[in-house]
Amino acid sequence: MNLEAFKQVNCSQTKASRRRDLASYLLTAPALIWLLVFFLVPYLIVFIYSFLSTDIYDVSFKFSLSAYRQLFSGIYLRPFYLAFRLAFITTFACLILAFPVAYYIARASEKMRNMLLILIIIPFWTNLIIRIFSWRIFLSYNGVLNTILLRLGLISTPLELMRTDFTVLLVMVYVYLPYMILPLYSALEKMDFTLLQAAMDLGANEVKAFFRITLPLAAEGIFAGSLLVFIPTLGAYLIPQLVGNQRSLYVGQVITYKIKNIPRNWPMASAMSFILLLLVAIMLIAMYAIYRKRTLAKRNV
Amino acid sequence: MDELRIENLSKDYDGFLAVDNVSLTIQPGELYSFLGPSGCGKTTLLRMIAGFEIPRTGRIYLGGQDITDLPPYKRPVNTIFQNYSLFPHMNVFDNVAFGLRIKKVPKTEIKDRVRKMLTLVKMEDQAAKYPSQLSGGQKQRIAIARALINEPKLLLLDEPLAALDLKLRQHMLIELMNIHDAVGITFIYVTHDQSEAMSISDRMAVMQNGNIVQSGLPDDIYERPTSIFSAYFIGETNLITGEVIGIEDEYVQLRCHRGNGEYFEIDSTFHFPPTLGSKLTVSLRPEKIAITRSKPRNQDDFNILRGTIEDILYVGTHTQYIVRVGDLKFRVFSQHKRVYFDEKALDWDEEVWLFWHDTDSWLINEVPDGVEASVEPRSLPQRASRKGIPAEV
Ligand SMILES: Nc1ncnc2c1ncn2[C@@H]1O[C@H](COP(=O)(O)OP(=O)(O)OP(=O)(O)O)[C@@H](O)[C@H]1O
Ligand SMILES: [Mg+2]
Repeated sequence: MNLEAFKQVNCSQTKASRRRDLASYLLTAPALIWLLVFFLVPYLIVFIYSFLSTDIYDVSFKFSLSAYRQLFSGIYLRPFYLAFRLAFITTFACLILAFPVAYYIARASEKMRNMLLILIIIPFWTNLIIRIFSWRIFLSYNGVLNTILLRLGLISTPLELMRTDFTVLLVMVYVYLPYMILPLYSALEKMDFTLLQAAMDLGANEVKAFFRITLPLAAEGIFAGSLLVFIPTLGAYLIPQLVGNQRSLYVGQVITYKIKNIPRNWPMASAMSFILLLLVAIMLIAMYAIYRKRTLAKRNV
Repeated sequence: MDELRIENLSKDYDGFLAVDNVSLTIQPGELYSFLGPSGCGKTTLLRMIAGFEIPRTGRIYLGGQDITDLPPYKRPVNTIFQNYSLFPHMNVFDNVAFGLRIKKVPKTEIKDRVRKMLTLVKMEDQAAKYPSQLSGGQKQRIAIARALINEPKLLLLDEPLAALDLKLRQHMLIELMNIHDAVGITFIYVTHDQSEAMSISDRMAVMQNGNIVQSGLPDDIYERPTSIFSAYFIGETNLITGEVIGIEDEYVQLRCHRGNGEYFEIDSTFHFPPTLGSKLTVSLRPEKIAITRSKPRNQDDFNILRGTIEDILYVGTHTQYIVRVGDLKFRVFSQHKRVYFDEKALDWDEEVWLFWHDTDSWLINEVPDGVEASVEPRSLPQRASRKGIPAEV
């Protein structure tokens, strides 16, 4: 082929690829518009509201920094602290509990695997509020657990199991555990288990093989699962509200109160929402950077 | 010395004996092959030596030490897995360094030794690549480097070349032999490819149904198979059953049925005392038989048969003939020699003479199950056209 012909072919190829680019833009447009209208615009409104002044029922359109000033003055930091603490502990507890389960499912026979996965998914078929209420019935002062323990003579007065910080953590872990198991499972299922034999052949005992082979290869699942658990836990409202107490208010609850209870404080609710989003975004970016550096870059260069 | 001694080793899966009472000794520095058909227990035997399977009975000694109950990570044994099992999240350097890092060898020493290993397997400039970026042959080399860097007393290779194409396989085979010579470690090589086993091994063992049916030097096993199975599995052969009708000093006479109540006789040297009247099998390698159009002149010490060419298969290096003698079919391999007493190529349906020396008939003290005739060829190469393929003899 001579040079001219070669150039022509090349040219038409780039044209074709440009056409393909355009097509892909058009195809992603609905999603982009959806994001713009239902995510970016509302957040923009929230952002603007956080700089307005309070009114008893809604806001007055006067610029003010008082929401942020109050927010950083002290009492409003505790709900943030509690929420982050809860999110971290929940994520970690889910990880510790989910790993062996996911590992076991990934190594089970195909038939067994499908059945176990269905068992993991079954709780999703029941409404979340009903599941939380069943925990209340189970744990309350005159509840199932206390009755059983009393009958067995293990305790003489019922235990205070409801409305403690631990109850919140317990129900959180219960609700979000499947979100950790499933991505972990999908990462472990892809793993070639003869790699562990190879590691042991090369002198690594079971523990070393786990930390050097299984754990890094499950990184993808750990990352995805942690996000799926951490982010909703951080803004949790329903669970602390239904099984928690008024001494430990989480950020989600406080935001709801500021919107709902009179006197309303929408700028405060907006400021808290915005700061929460900002913190999550920073964390996400940091985690993603670490994740990319440690795993993605390695495998697909 | 670090010889490997296996004593009465057995392994069963739910009552099915995968390895059945195997005993053998492998000398230090040897390149030893296990050869056998699929499912005969080669991998199981290897995995017991590596420590991944626990034998039901028997002991394994390496250099005098009983290693039967040691976990894999405490054995001075390394394995090349069939699919290489390179760690996908580590680059070539980290893969090779794995064993040394586990042993907490100092960093500078690791660097040194990894570089040396990579040079040995000719991969010194690929240290930063990840397994997904390597070709099959390169993965193979890294797997070898990763194992050898631990300086094992024993290297186990389970069909290491099975995943490679033919040319690369031949190339890696030579490379493996060179590496074996360079490091002087005992290699145990598992394969179901007989030519691979024969060309690479110092000694080898033929396995069948969890047993070792014959072990020894490759040419010994090829030239002097002790069972129908080893004769048939290693290379190709004609198996002819016959009855002993005469025993002389140097050879025995066998009467063989060719069908239709007709018989012919075969003379054969022998290596075990046959009894008159007993039924035996002669193994006759196809390349030992000469095929001609005219009757051979020298008839002393030769077995001579007359037959009809039923099929001609030109395979490049030689031509394979299927020659019918009564109800029996003989496979004959003949090199294409330019200078020979016949001018014209042999053709389909031609009457020909087959002859071979008495010492080329090999007696086996066994009769094939059921069939008395020679065995049908197992696999025939593709044939282009029925007629007209040149075959000069
Ligand atoms: N984990 C297992 N469970 C049950 N049976 C097994 C198991 N592993 C192997 N076997 C059986 O043991 C026998 C020997 O298997 P092995 O893998 O040792 O054969 P092989 O000689 O390596 O064959 P191939 O050449 O196909 O690799 C086979 O019949 C196989 O079905
Ligand atoms: Mg095998």
